[in-house]
Amino acid sequence: MRDTLVRASPSRARIRPSRPQLIRATTITILLLFTLFALPQLLSLYYIDTMTQVAIYSMVTLALGVLVGRVGLVSLGQVAVLAVGAWVAARLLFATTQPYPVILLEAGLITMVAGIAIGLPALRLRGLYLALITLMLAGAITVVLATLNFPNGGHGFTGYNGSLVHIPPIRRPSIAAADPAYFRYSVIVATLMFLLVLAHVKTKPGRAWAAIRQSEPAALAAGINTTLYKLWAFALASFITGVAGGVLAGAVHYLYSIGFPTQDSITLLAVTLMGGVYTMWGAVVAALLYQFLPALLNNWGVSADWLIILFGLGVLQVLTTAPAGLADQVPKDLARLGRRLRRSTSRSTP
Amino acid sequence: MPPWSDFEPFIVSGLALGGVYALSGVGLVVLYRATGVLYLAFGAVGALGALTAWSLGQQGAPGWLTWLVCIAVAAAVTLGYGLIFGPALAKRDPLVKAVATIGLTLVLYGLMDLLWTTSGGEARSLTLPTDNGGFSVGQVQVNWTQVIGLAAGVVLTVGTGMFLRYTKVGTAMRAMANDREITATLGVPVRRVEAAAWLGCGVLAGIAGLLLADLVALDATTLTFLVISSLAAVLIARLRSITITFVAAIVVGLLHDLLTPITSLTNYRDMTPFVLAAVALLVMPRGQVMAQSREEA
Repeated sequence: MRDTLVRASPSRARIRPSRPQLIRATTITILLLFTLFALPQLLSLYYIDTMTQVAIYSMVTLALGVLVGRVGLVSLGQVAVLAVGAWVAARLLFATTQPYPVILLEAGLITMVAGIAIGLPALRLRGLYLALITLMLAGAITVVLATLNFPNGGHGFTGYNGSLVHIPPIRRPSIAAADPAYFRYSVIVATLMFLLVLAHVKTKPGRAWAAIRQSEPAALAAGINTTLYKLWAFALASFITGVAGGVLAGAVHYLYSIGFPTQDSITLLAVTLMGGVYTMWGAVVAALLYQFLPALLNNWGVSADWLIILFGLGVLQVLTTAPAGLADQVPKDLARLGRRLRRSTSRSTP
Repeated sequence: MPPWSDFEPFIVSGLALGGVYALSGVGLVVLYRATGVLYLAFGAVGALGALTAWSLGQQGAPGWLTWLVCIAVAAAVTLGYGLIFGPALAKRDPLVKAVATIGLTLVLYGLMDLLWTTSGGEARSLTLPTDNGGFSVGQVQVNWTQVIGLAAGVVLTVGTGMFLRYTKVGTAMRAMANDREITATLGVPVRRVEAAAWLGCGVLAGIAGLLLADLVALDATTLTFLVISSLAAVLIARLRSITITFVAAIVVGLLHDLLTPITSLTNYRDMTPFVLAAVALLVMPRGQVMAQSREEA
């Protein structure tokens, strides 16, 4: 068996009774409703903006999680893909008056085409080489974007006008102009993307990916078109990241190429691994680590550098001892702690 | 196209940069062949060494001491990481080992940003005394640091090649690159040889950090991620040959700097290593890629 990035977790393919499934679905629905309706009331504007970023980055970590956890492909260039999505969306938002969802779809599709164009040759490589070629390509894309600049309402293909004095903000959908409304909008888009991934994971592509992750020769022998399904995963991840870029464009209003440095791709991989790549909860945990914790520390006046150190230690810990990440480890540890507490209390009160 | 004389100074700086890339690349290849670890923290440990040296210099320590400390810090951190995480991850995929060094990179990067905060806008510089002297070739001024950059690349590539060829430890490293298990059964102290490789790689990281801090900039971010450029040379050499690494590194450094005076391309010059590596990997014959991926899987 080929060693995947994190040791394969024991198979989850057991048939669940419908009751726990129902409970799970209800919990998720309640959580979602709480996020959509109660959370914007409870939070200050600072944290609403932060949570919008969390919703956006949960899509990015979700896409990376699909690549790493489901298929076993490591990409070190996801932030560059996000930048491409944001660039395309910003250009379209300035150039056209199309409704926002259409723009998001277009940004996703164009990013997907770019992802396929890059992915097709890159998929000749595997493992370490694939990871490094994505790092190289991300570096190249970052340089191109730094030269082209992000659209700021100018004309021409690039849509950039360096001498513009009053730069118009990138527009938001009319139904979600205010920050709390845009937060809800982002959460809904993110939810749709999670459902899209769920639909893949539960059906034929998901099974093909699982086979490829375990062993590519075995998958090939089983009659799986490995190139097609790997490319499919690349396309799906690029699409989701492109959509996330579109949501990001509206969230921040102004985009700058320095906002997408290559090193962020590396940090992103670190938090995605920490969050956990085998469940979709991992993507949410990763996005909270990546966007919420820095905002929290910033509010407390603690340097964000501590977080970078924490992420680094987290990667080392995940790779050596906790392959399934926090989303898997924390519930298990809590359950173990609970059992221990119960045992000690039952012992102390005989 | 600008006149030829505009390119001349960039040949010198390009060769110097290429030399340092070469020495980094050789360190990376040797460690990878001996232990299977692609050491992505190479730039970060060099930066840590250079910043420590700068701080010591501010305290009034003599120059030679700070340079030694720079190399010692890089070597100590690298060796420490190798001793702790090398055995723990020895049996894992090369990809896992490489990603683990990203963990170390982030820890060091966070630490450097914390200790030598960059937000203050305080510009640091590490100048070697060799910056002042020099000579001129035609109309181009060459300083000794640039000469050292290229010379260090040449000397260390040749030296490492000889070391691998003729010494006992070097032979053991080459054996381990072929098959770790068989080498162990032949009585080679695998752990100790690996430790030697880690130490050597750390020393090279320190030297590269010191030279790059002078030639490029003394800044944690720049130095940490400059390793990506030498990585390109290593990739062109397919993580194998130190000779090809050396040539590729010189080409990367030279081409990068030669694009500077060309107005239409100057903004894109930072793409040089990425584009060269991508092209080299993508035009590699398919059979070879697959064979190599299999071998390393």
